[in-house]
Amino acid sequence: MKLKIHYFLIILFVCVTIFGYAQQKTIAGTVNSEGGQPLSGASIVVKGTNISTLTDEYGRYTIVAELDQTLVISYVGFQTQEVPVANNNFINVNLLNAASDLDEVIVVGYGTQSKRKLTDNVAKLTSSDISQIPSPGFQSLLSGKAAGVQVMQTNGKVEAGISMRIRGVASIGAGSQPLYVLDGMPLINQNESNNSAPQNPLLTLSPNEIASIDILKDASATAIYGSRGANGVVVITTKKGQSGRSSISANVSHGWSGPANKREWLNAAEYKELLQESLINRYGTESGTQRFESFMDNYSAGTDWRNGEVDTDWQDLAFQDGYLTDADLSMSGGNDKTTYFLSGAYNGTKGIIRGNELERLTSRINVSHNFSDKFTGGANLSFSKTSIDRIANDNAFVTPLQAVALSPISPAYLPDGEPNGNTIYANFLLQDRHAFYNTVIRRVTGKAFGEYRFLPYLKFNTDFGYDLYYQTEDSYTGRLAPFQSTNGEGYASSVGTESYITSNYFTYSQNFANIHDLEAVVGMEFNDTRRRFQSVTGIEFPTDDFQTIGSAAEITAGNGNVSQYNFLSYFVRATYSLKDRYLLKASVRRDGSSRFGESVRYGTFAAASAGWILSEEDFLSESEVVSFLKLRGSWGQSGNAEIGDFASLGLYGGISYNQRPGISPTQPANSFLTWEKVNQYDIGVDFGFLNNRLSGELDYYVKQSKDLLFDVPLPGTSGFSTITRNIGLMENRGVEFVLNTENIKKEGFTWNTSINIARNNNEVKELPNGADVISGRNIVREGEAINSFYVLEYAGVSPDNGDALYYLNSKNEDGTLSKETTNDPNRANRIVAGSPIPVWIGGFTSALFFKGFDFSFTFQGEWGASIYNAGGLYQSANGDYYDNQSRDQLRRWRQPGDITDVPQARFGLGNGTAHSTRYLERTDFIRLRNVNLGYTIPQQALQQLGINNLRVYLAAFNLLTFTDYQGYDPEARSDAGETAAGNGIDFYSAPAARTFSLGVNFNF
Amino acid sequence: MKKIVYRYSILALLVGLSACERKLDIDPEQSIPAEQALSTSQNIQSLLIGTYDQAGTDDLYGGFLQMLADLYGFSGQASWVGTFTQPREVFNKRIRVDNSFVRDHWINAYQVVNATNLIVDHLHVVDEAERDRVAGEAKFLRALVYFDLVRSFGRPYVSEEANNQPGVPLSLTGILDYDGDLAVPRNTVDEVYTQVLADLNDAYSLLPESNGYYADRYSAQALLARVYLQQGNYTAARDAANDVIQNSGRVLTPTYQEAFNNEANSVEDLFAFQVTNQSGTNQLVVHYATQDLGGRGGDIVVQPAYLALFDSDTDDRSMFFYESSRGLLSSKYTNQFGNIAMIRLAEMYLIRGEANLRLGTAVGATPADDINVLRARANAALKPAVTLEDVLLERQLELAFEGFLIHDVKRTRETIVIVESVGGESTEVPIPYNDNRLTYPIPQREIDANPLLEQNPGYGT
Repeated sequence: MKLKIHYFLIILFVCVTIFGYAQQKTIAGTVNSEGGQPLSGASIVVKGTNISTLTDEYGRYTIVAELDQTLVISYVGFQTQEVPVANNNFINVNLLNAASDLDEVIVVGYGTQSKRKLTDNVAKLTSSDISQIPSPGFQSLLSGKAAGVQVMQTNGKVEAGISMRIRGVASIGAGSQPLYVLDGMPLINQNESNNSAPQNPLLTLSPNEIASIDILKDASATAIYGSRGANGVVVITTKKGQSGRSSISANVSHGWSGPANKREWLNAAEYKELLQESLINRYGTESGTQRFESFMDNYSAGTDWRNGEVDTDWQDLAFQDGYLTDADLSMSGGNDKTTYFLSGAYNGTKGIIRGNELERLTSRINVSHNFSDKFTGGANLSFSKTSIDRIANDNAFVTPLQAVALSPISPAYLPDGEPNGNTIYANFLLQDRHAFYNTVIRRVTGKAFGEYRFLPYLKFNTDFGYDLYYQTEDSYTGRLAPFQSTNGEGYASSVGTESYITSNYFTYSQNFANIHDLEAVVGMEFNDTRRRFQSVTGIEFPTDDFQTIGSAAEITAGNGNVSQYNFLSYFVRATYSLKDRYLLKASVRRDGSSRFGESVRYGTFAAASAGWILSEEDFLSESEVVSFLKLRGSWGQSGNAEIGDFASLGLYGGISYNQRPGISPTQPANSFLTWEKVNQYDIGVDFGFLNNRLSGELDYYVKQSKDLLFDVPLPGTSGFSTITRNIGLMENRGVEFVLNTENIKKEGFTWNTSINIARNNNEVKELPNGADVISGRNIVREGEAINSFYVLEYAGVSPDNGDALYYLNSKNEDGTLSKETTNDPNRANRIVAGSPIPVWIGGFTSALFFKGFDFSFTFQGEWGASIYNAGGLYQSANGDYYDNQSRDQLRRWRQPGDITDVPQARFGLGNGTAHSTRYLERTDFIRLRNVNLGYTIPQQALQQLGINNLRVYLAAFNLLTFTDYQGYDPEARSDAGETAAGNGIDFYSAPAARTFSLGVNFNF
Repeated sequence: MKKIVYRYSILALLVGLSACERKLDIDPEQSIPAEQALSTSQNIQSLLIGTYDQAGTDDLYGGFLQMLADLYGFSGQASWVGTFTQPREVFNKRIRVDNSFVRDHWINAYQVVNATNLIVDHLHVVDEAERDRVAGEAKFLRALVYFDLVRSFGRPYVSEEANNQPGVPLSLTGILDYDGDLAVPRNTVDEVYTQVLADLNDAYSLLPESNGYYADRYSAQALLARVYLQQGNYTAARDAANDVIQNSGRVLTPTYQEAFNNEANSVEDLFAFQVTNQSGTNQLVVHYATQDLGGRGGDIVVQPAYLALFDSDTDDRSMFFYESSRGLLSSKYTNQFGNIAMIRLAEMYLIRGEANLRLGTAVGATPADDINVLRARANAALKPAVTLEDVLLERQLELAFEGFLIHDVKRTRETIVIVESVGGESTEVPIPYNDNRLTYPIPQREIDANPLLEQNPGYGT
């Protein structure tokens, strides 16, 4: 209640603001470039106030200021200049060309800082880095663009979950995703899919609204987000209007897509031969042949299988030609009082997998107004609707990609046009035709903000942000769909999560004697998030024409739950620079969260950093070679609160038995559960040589995750299989290197390149009693990377009898491992064999501008990770079952003396199908992530049409992949529950989409 | 004015804070903490109902346990033709230590054990009027899962021997504190059987004569008969079965067909897990039935070898099958929302008959009469006299696909014969009842999580 009063008063105060008055005068002048060209649209701000203006088309401006104030003149691509007003009535300025991007403004959370004086490691991307790449989710656009930032889309489904890892994996038991902050509002980023395949909750954001993305990597930067910063923070800033220039811009593109890779499977003749051989090897010639023929008769739907009448390419049927339409329109502008940005965008993406589509409408309004030189207020508001036609998760028989398992001798369709229902596994075409699963997400995100400047050096900001994620899911499975036995089944769910946040902070910023620059921020924040979910399942529909839940004659399940969490935080940060060259920063944040037990409810997170700009020193300031050089070091702490809302309690939940209510234990108690903490050290150097034509950064960091949260397997005899515990210490240690070069910089011809490369070593340092923690095929072991693969070591095939062999790997007396082999997988021992986390990741971007043409591309690469193909024991199992096999199974062992790595075909006996390194593979790859080729039509040709700028372009996404990886895609991971993506498991996972698009950009 | 703003902004920082602080106290809304769950009579009784549901999950009595017991025992009566590799391993008698069905049998069984332990530990909070019944039901469920654990994961019980071979760990106290060392070693097979018998005898004396569809006195007695039979204690098995037949009030359903696919317990059911379209699960239908009946198409196909066992053309049981594209399927599982019968009265006649025959007695009825009761119901030709083979055959005819086969194989020391590829050549391989291959491996995840567990012989190091 008190909170509400406080807001009422703030609003009241907004309405009655009185304009301050002091000794003022009007100043006029012009702003030109180094070469004397007038700069139109340059910004002039009275320092320490909200008063600003822009130059007109002749570079002229007028502004009102006080005698003791200073004007700050800036223009994109030029160095910002400050001029004291003093007694001048005219101030003319010639701006110098910018020293590369050093004067970029970095958004650091509750404020901004210039890149030049930054003592943290933050990667900044602007709209030009991410625009016009044909992909609906904005995160995939970041791939390869920032050092140490790995972006993975789980698989090729349009809505697939995104995993972004900043400087390796800092957590596995708690959330491992960074915190996304949109214009100061932490975004709801909870996966709300109910078909077990994660779906990207941030799909609702249109890339065209984004002005910049700042990725906060080191702890000194993330510590200001305290308990939520451990996995890094992605700060998204939306576009704003600029005073003086009204513009309308439009962009329309159409694209075509297909799978980035296909695999080779046996054709009908090869399949037939292998299956027969396999059955004979198991059952003998007579019985085997009989079984073979009866199988063929049964599953060939009456076609002449002996003469190869049918040869179905199921893989082809699983994919479809994707199609993409992207259109957006934005209007922006303003005057010295008010600026606005309005935009609307449409994205229609027909995915590459049959039945998978997405359609999104988004809109945004950002308005800001200077009520006086003291007070600025405004609001941002966006709403969007995203509709997705989804398909089943990777571990469902009706998911399209599992069709590769179907026998090529079975026709896909019957002569009457209906999909063939008699296939060894469900025919997904029946699901595609007779069932649907539609998800609609509505999202409203907005904030109202006010900034009041008491004194030139003291201001107060108050923000009130709101985020609503409201999603409905509707699905219907008709009578003719596979596994349907209840006269139709319908499901409807709705979930609404709303979050509000209020941030209030003072900023004190003062320069003393032109030597000391001090800025301090102190404030508080309160965040409240509530989620409410309900669902209904029903069966027995009158006919398949009735597909909504209301028509179900029997309601068989209903679910509903609510949950809530809160964060209360205080923070303080001080930044100091001496003579613009000695830099210091320190911050502390104290967070309380309802997620933790009362005794450990609060956590304090501190950070400090320092920098030294050597190039400002006398011994370097005159250097022709070194144009910029800064050393910086930082240390900080952040936390991870992304565990369940009530993870520390022993809980009992409701259950029903024959419609009688009961309870059962759902979670074991762990009263010692506490925050997962990340301590990070970073030392780095920022450099610029030869007038900054060569610039970059080099960083070394050590990031230690303490009290690592992990679902530790318990002995099943305890009644629970896992418990969330703080289990130990993990370290990510690495180096990041960024090099930007301006290779050619001439009138009408420029060529820039940017390389980033990062090495990250993940190592588990300490576990309780040093004991291994094994979950499925992954292990957490001291001295190894987290979640390393732990499987048997495949030793190939016995040339004598075609048995699959495994190394024993039992400990010899001298401590070495026995490399004797066995054909009994139960006798062999598992070994650590690779890691799901890459060691090296890198990107290479190059941009060329020549006359009206522009050409750019980004390569991205990863080295050191492996994927375990959990589907291998079905797909590449030397004909162990009726599943169609990958084409490499043609080289199976057939007679004594054969030297091969594919064992003898023995139907149903699992010869070589144990979980082993046979199905584990390195994923090292280089991918041509995107290519853009554009042509800007000369202005003279357009002026009569009233168009300022017109550019046509051709863009491609995932154009080429260079890899030895044999599976579908070195980036595709399973989206099904038990084979979670984070563990590096593939299970019939779809490859990424390769997309081409043609588009046009207008500016009026 | 400036001052006012200043004050309010300070206020915003400070006043706001104290109001927000209290908001950090949030309690869960869908769950209750353990202390609360175990402190009232109502909650303990709810926990008991929840335990039935847990025991009825997929991997236990929801169907996998029964299905795997038959697949494990098949010589050629039926084949696993389904796509899942875990049941295929069991059918092939080549089980890998990471078989997830076997793993989940273990995990879910101990979930039931822990819940029943918690109930037994907190009987003092249960209203006195309900206390005996609650105790009896909890002990019945605990005995049920321990019996199936020990006969699946321990090597066969040998009557009149010490049975010191490792069984499964006996956990008899509810665990509330998960911070300590939870590793436990395996108890011997004998110790586990002793505990099962103690629990069932307690349950028998504590439970009421009838108890709706929950376990009653005769559910416990019938299970006792089954346990004694497995142990080769024929006297006790006979007497327990006789008690059930004479006193339980259950009668055989008029026809064989009516004993199956029931949405409410039949007159023959001594104990059944309840399945409705809203709760419970019937995985037997999933794997035995066609898709239009809620199955996966028929993963277990009945072979001529089974049909050849029938000795009477009119036997309804020999016709209780239907054709599908994959072959002949059992009609015992065609209602996906039907209950899962755990103990039918028919089994008691078979136990009493076999025990009387082995002991040369005729307690309650002669062996031939007991067998003919079942044959008459199924319209099979009656037998004037029966041998032990006849009785054992009758078990296969009456109880097939209900989860008895592997345990009967071990009990009667039979040898299973399967077709395998030996050295690349297709060969018939005999597997004697006490072969290592016929005992489940201790799940690898348990060995990983519990260093005190010892693996069964034949499953590597």
